[in-house]
Amino acid sequence: MPITAETRFLDVAGKKTQLTVGGSGPPLLYLHSAAGEADWLPFHEVLAENHTVYVPAHPGFVLSEGLDQIQDMQDLVWHYVDLLKMLGLANVPVAGFSLGAWLAMELAVIRPEMISRLVLADAAGIRLPDAPMAELFIDDLQNTKKLLFFNAECEGVSWVVPDSYEDTRMLMWLRAREATARVGWNPYLHNPRLPGHLHRIGCPTLVLWGREDRLIPLAHGEYLAEHLPHAKLVTFENCGHMLPFERPREFAVATRDFLAADLTGNEAVS
Amino acid sequence: MKFFAFHLMPWDRLPHDFGQHHESAWTWVPNSLYDPAHGNELYNRYLDELVLAEELGFDGVCVNEHHQNAYGNMPSPNLMAAILARQTERIKIAVIGNALPFYNPPTRVAEEFAMIDVISGGRLIAGMVVGGGPEYYSFSVNPTHARSMYNEALDLVLEAWTRPGPFEHYGQHWKLKYVNPWPVPLQKPHPPVWVPGAGSQETIDMVAERRFAYMGIPYFHFDFFKRNFDSFREACQKQGYTANEEQMGWLVPIYVAETDEQAWAEYEAHLWYFVNNLLKGLVIFPPGYTSARSLARINRALDRFLGNVETRREIEEGKYAIVGSPATVRDQMADCIGQLGVGNILGLFQLGTLPEDLTRKNMTLFAEQVLPELRSSVRPVMNTN
Repeated sequence: MPITAETRFLDVAGKKTQLTVGGSGPPLLYLHSAAGEADWLPFHEVLAENHTVYVPAHPGFVLSEGLDQIQDMQDLVWHYVDLLKMLGLANVPVAGFSLGAWLAMELAVIRPEMISRLVLADAAGIRLPDAPMAELFIDDLQNTKKLLFFNAECEGVSWVVPDSYEDTRMLMWLRAREATARVGWNPYLHNPRLPGHLHRIGCPTLVLWGREDRLIPLAHGEYLAEHLPHAKLVTFENCGHMLPFERPREFAVATRDFLAADLTGNEAVS
Repeated sequence: MKFFAFHLMPWDRLPHDFGQHHESAWTWVPNSLYDPAHGNELYNRYLDELVLAEELGFDGVCVNEHHQNAYGNMPSPNLMAAILARQTERIKIAVIGNALPFYNPPTRVAEEFAMIDVISGGRLIAGMVVGGGPEYYSFSVNPTHARSMYNEALDLVLEAWTRPGPFEHYGQHWKLKYVNPWPVPLQKPHPPVWVPGAGSQETIDMVAERRFAYMGIPYFHFDFFKRNFDSFREACQKQGYTANEEQMGWLVPIYVAETDEQAWAEYEAHLWYFVNNLLKGLVIFPPGYTSARSLARINRALDRFLGNVETRREIEEGKYAIVGSPATVRDQMADCIGQLGVGNILGLFQLGTLPEDLTRKNMTLFAEQVLPELRSSVRPVMNTN
């Protein structure tokens, strides 16, 4: 029996915000990537077996509005401070993917009390001179697929990348690119000050990475695991940047197990 | 009817197998392919070709701004315009244009344009552009701010030219306590403003509202131009006035030789070098550069873009370039001018690898055997529908 979700719209400080909620149990906030995966997808459903999963769309993505009020990542972070307050969510686990993982870290820096645990999948947010991120903002859809996926033929590709400019999802894809560029064009998909803040993120953190990530190389995951105070890194073989799309079940199960684990001991976190 | 000689100042020595090894002549094209010794010859040759335009009786010359590319080697068109201001005496110097978001602060444009206008004795035409898609990659300027930066900068430049300084400017993108440029332009209230456009309605409406001139960006099918100029006239009507033909300009590659066959024989290889190498990567749309809706529309229109054209027949049919004997070029241009209703022809007489001797012959034949008759007999016909 599939777990269904409901989508509604909130007014968050003047920004019309799309929010999809599904499942039952303790809350879990999912922060989406540049792809704008704010509609209910198979990995959300697996997470929803144990959690009430909140999937908001960032301003400018999908049917959320208010990009004109977002000038940079800091504005986006404050938008989430407002949203969590509005939803009455505090001390919740947050799972973020790519752009969403960067956002989750920034949120944990300025509002540590809002976040209980972090799951960061193939996170943007930092720049490593020896392991540069690739160019995300290219026009060619076929090259984009090859950049993002280890297996550009896997099922998850069709959930997210339009086939052509005739595809009805093209408008949403272009909106997602624009909203990503607003916060991530320059500095390119990172905050130069974030490394200096990582020591302030004290919550237990699981860093997940596709070993073959061509957009954000694994070295970024290793750096985060090393510099976040309570983080461990789990990698996935034969998997590219789009971990939740290439390995939906494994991504969701790893997240679920980490959130369910008793971390009072020391066995899971080093 | 006014006739301008437009120059891109292209790089003419890309390797023969360039197309197989490079996806773009822009942004990422390695500058190890640039040879400054040859650049020395090229710049001086190209400038001489623009100086020739004055001797031949053209009304003006055009230069424009592009960065990090092989298509046009004028990152600073203002330097070229400054040279031309001294090397010519009569013709208009149209810089179309300065890409405003790349000037920080944009009052630099007000200053440099004013210098050119003053030095040239009031011969500047001031083009103001948003900048090309590839250039937002080259400069890492956020393309989601392109339009708002452009609008703010355009207002600021015009204000700097017309309002006595010093005054304050507090905008979204620039905060300036003292705006007070020296010099100010010689032409009053300011030099004519030309805005090139590729058909976006936002640009057409803005140009119509401010009564500037709209220059159709080339390399698209003739029907595309026709639609754009019709929209422009419509937009002017909505503003309560009838567009003057001098408010519109058609930018088009032109090649004239003794006969049609000779023209194609001399021109075709150089045109394909341009199409297959230099246009590669020109059409790239960084996110937010125009609205998502326009982007989707433009992408669907790309099959009518010169970069995707493959045969001489398509070029002739779509009037991507006007090529032939003086009589052929004269007839075709008279017909096109009539259909478009434009009062300015911006002819691209050098393209790709077209060498110096053929470029000069082309310009000379055009000036002597095409231009005079077009000037005296052709009246643009306003399209009233």
